[in-house]
Amino acid sequence: MFKNYLKITWRNLVRNKSFSVLNILGLSIGLAVTGLILLWVNFEVGFDQFHEKKDRIYQVYNKYNVDGEIWTWNSTPKVMASVIEKDYPEVEEVSRYFYENTFLFSQGDKNIKSNGTIVDPSFLEIFSFPLIEGNIKTVLEDVNSLVVTETFAEKMFGNQPAVGQVVKMDNADTFKVTGVLKDLPNNTEFNFEYLIPWAYLKQKGYDDKNWSNNSIATYILLKEGTNYTAFSEKIETLREAYDKEAPDMVTYLYPHTRTHLYSEFENGVEVGGLIDIIRLFMIIAIIVLIIACINFMNLSTARSEKRAKEVGVRKVVGARKKALVWQFLGESVLISLLAAVVALAVIVLALPSFSTLIDTELRIDWSNPLFWGVTLSIILFTGLLAGSYPALYLSAFKPSAVLKGTFNKINTLVTPRKILVIVQFSVAIILITATIVVKEQISSVQNRKLGYNKEHLIYVQIEGDVEKNYASIKSELLDGGIASSISKTNSPITESWSNSWNIEWPGKSPDNKTLVHRMPADDAIVKTMGLQIKEGRDFDLKKYPTDSTAIILNESAVTLMGFDDPLNQIIKDNGLDWHVIGVVEDFVFNSPFQKIEPMVFEGAKAWFNMVHIKFNADNSIASNLASTEKIFKKYNPNYPFNYDFVDQDYAKKFVGEQRFKNLASLFTVLIILISCLGLFGLASYMAQNRIKEIGVRKVLGASVSGITTLLSKDFLKLVGISLLIAIPISWYAMNQYLQDFAYRIELSWWMFGLAGLLALFIAFITVSYQAIKAAKSNPAKSLRTE
Amino acid sequence: MLLQLNNIFKWVNSGGQRIFLLKDINLDVEEGEFISVMGPSGSGKSTLLNVIGMLDTFDEGEYNFLHECVHTLKEKHRANLYKEYIGFVFQSYHLLDDLTVQENLEMPLLYKKFKGSERKAMVADMLDRFNIVGKKDLFPVQLSGGQQQLVGVARALIANPKLILADEPTGNLNSQQSEEIMQLFKKLNEEDGVTIIQVTHSEKNAAYGSRIINLLDGRKV
Repeated sequence: MFKNYLKITWRNLVRNKSFSVLNILGLSIGLAVTGLILLWVNFEVGFDQFHEKKDRIYQVYNKYNVDGEIWTWNSTPKVMASVIEKDYPEVEEVSRYFYENTFLFSQGDKNIKSNGTIVDPSFLEIFSFPLIEGNIKTVLEDVNSLVVTETFAEKMFGNQPAVGQVVKMDNADTFKVTGVLKDLPNNTEFNFEYLIPWAYLKQKGYDDKNWSNNSIATYILLKEGTNYTAFSEKIETLREAYDKEAPDMVTYLYPHTRTHLYSEFENGVEVGGLIDIIRLFMIIAIIVLIIACINFMNLSTARSEKRAKEVGVRKVVGARKKALVWQFLGESVLISLLAAVVALAVIVLALPSFSTLIDTELRIDWSNPLFWGVTLSIILFTGLLAGSYPALYLSAFKPSAVLKGTFNKINTLVTPRKILVIVQFSVAIILITATIVVKEQISSVQNRKLGYNKEHLIYVQIEGDVEKNYASIKSELLDGGIASSISKTNSPITESWSNSWNIEWPGKSPDNKTLVHRMPADDAIVKTMGLQIKEGRDFDLKKYPTDSTAIILNESAVTLMGFDDPLNQIIKDNGLDWHVIGVVEDFVFNSPFQKIEPMVFEGAKAWFNMVHIKFNADNSIASNLASTEKIFKKYNPNYPFNYDFVDQDYAKKFVGEQRFKNLASLFTVLIILISCLGLFGLASYMAQNRIKEIGVRKVLGASVSGITTLLSKDFLKLVGISLLIAIPISWYAMNQYLQDFAYRIELSWWMFGLAGLLALFIAFITVSYQAIKAAKSNPAKSLRTE
Repeated sequence: MLLQLNNIFKWVNSGGQRIFLLKDINLDVEEGEFISVMGPSGSGKSTLLNVIGMLDTFDEGEYNFLHECVHTLKEKHRANLYKEYIGFVFQSYHLLDDLTVQENLEMPLLYKKFKGSERKAMVADMLDRFNIVGKKDLFPVQLSGGQQQLVGVARALIANPKLILADEPTGNLNSQQSEEIMQLFKKLNEEDGVTIIQVTHSEKNAAYGSRIINLLDGRKV
């Protein structure tokens, strides 16, 4: 029996090649999209889930009431770990994690830059980062021990054994490699190639006991069997006995397994995070799959007339309805299996580009039983879902009707299919609108007035001997005609690394806790960046030595501070009095999607990490770069010359939104494609069914164009209804999306109009092919068949 | 007595009027009869055949088939009944295009849960009996109309039914092919004792039967 079904199904597929291709193609596109999304979701959900003790690992967070709003953040004082160890016996291990830093490691002539951090020895006990070489108990015991990853070892030592090697860090201290770690998997929040013991930091005198310096991460491992709820209540008041400034700050334990997906807090309450995007994409995956299934139903029922005879014959020779339902379900499961094979091939081929698109390295774990389990369930689910309607519909045919040739139920069966088409096109229109809106939003922000000149501008990190030789570097760059201007700054112009609510100005109310960004700069900042001066002047240390304590404000800062005459006002910060010498127009320094916040340039007395160099535009960038490299190599010989272009940096601020746009476009195109496959099939069915009507009309004198219009009209009406459904939904959704941006476009009717026109156009192209074909057919032929 | 129809009525309501498809039909069929049903188009021949074959229901009257009251039976039992005792032959053959001759013959047996070896034997027997062994792997489109109808008859006979219902079995055939099919029916009826009820327009074909029933506007005349 099964063999008989299989034979029928297979011959059916082969005999109706175009139909089969439409059907399998539509379904496989849907399956491929779902598969790709599921692979990504699986990757994100698996983040940091590989730690054996993951259920007992927590990160220490703080919650603090600032102006009636509870702020939540995850950095802690360095001293907190020792208090936890001393006062809380429920804790098995505790480890601090210093912020990740890039340092230069050298051995002989070999230099490599590597990213890593400083941890307590217990770090390797808490987290499952397995050692290939070295003893977990002792690798981080010695002050100058160094644990590195395989990649680090290979880069630094090649094929030599790593353990026992001695390397120099930043040309200062020497470290001895004591252990080699397996490279970190790419689904972990951590990112390090080397680990240094905390003892080193202590020896260097950086291990402060300041409770208000919240700068590092603290992780704890609870003892087995500890009740989290009870313990978290107990630890809440940790600071009471130690922290003089903020004894009421709440210490809060956050499960480490939630960090990647959640960890967004609003007023002290977890409000989601990446999980929201994952949910959105899961919904998209389900919608795409359902649309593909709808397609399948549409195409299958459209061919019902062909199958009707088979149903009739089978019933007459004794088949029960149930047997037929199973036959058709089995058939659709088989088709979905074929589609899944095609989809898998598509996924394998598309995976590299998709990985690039979402900037996440995805792979398929072929040996994972879960993968096959999920794949098989999706095939089964799709097959049953897609086959359910055709199976019930087809198996219900009455043999006495279908076998006598009186079978003509066109009108009764059209309604459910109309609804299916409307659903498909509603989704397509919503996605087209989303693509248009996101594209408009991005390009509007890209065209936003920047407020500074990002061309010919690079920045270089101050490291090694740069600080020591800065004067020489500066004069060689300027005198050599390589740079037109140069300025040291705290951070790249595209980012703000420092802010405070403690900056004071005349007339500031004591409970004003507005954050003001600081961007210290030493000299000629306005000239280097090409900022627009509104009042006053640039830093000029040569002419005015007192400019080392001068300050330049942006317009938003002036507004915040309420100055009518900002020049020469005194602003207090970090124990210094800064006098205002200039005001610049607002410029974009953080996200271009948000509003510009108050910021100040503090003068040369502040601290610096970067040098910004404005190249002389008369030379080519390549020659400027080459000359600059030569100078840096001369004065800072141990470090490779690394630089960044400000304009490229700025472009990176759009990566996230661009990615969103690209994904939206991709899904839009695919959904339209699937919908069109369905529409095409339906149109061909309609044309076939009305062939007699068309014949009669032609005999009575109807023109080809008249008939084409007649046939297309019905479908375009459906698209029109979809438009009515889609517009309010997409208006609401896009409005919500835009709320996230302070700098945003207004929704306009043309965006919906364009989406609608596009949908109508695509539908018309799809349908009219069949309509014209039908309209051109010879009436004598079509009428004879009856 | 194979079957008995008593005062059978069947109607549809159209535009507020009741249109009778079958009106007060009484019919007794003994085992071994060969009956021809005749009448102009729309006189209810096919409807009558469908009612007898239990493919269609009726609105009033009694129908007994082998002493079972069909009108009171549940759908499932009715299906079992016609599955076991009735074979159908159609004007346009209604073979499944996607199956070969052999597979078409096998299909009814699948639904009757015969074992694989039994099925094989029965199909081989049928192919042999109808002299179509050489065509067993061909698809219906590769056969002439007469050959297709031959397969259609073979399919109807394969499960050894007591009654064959044939709805204009020669309607699509030329005269020579018709002749052959009718000869076959006659042989089946006379030699194997199969009861046959056929609908036909042709006096010549009707003459093969032992009895003729004439219908006009749903009524026996």
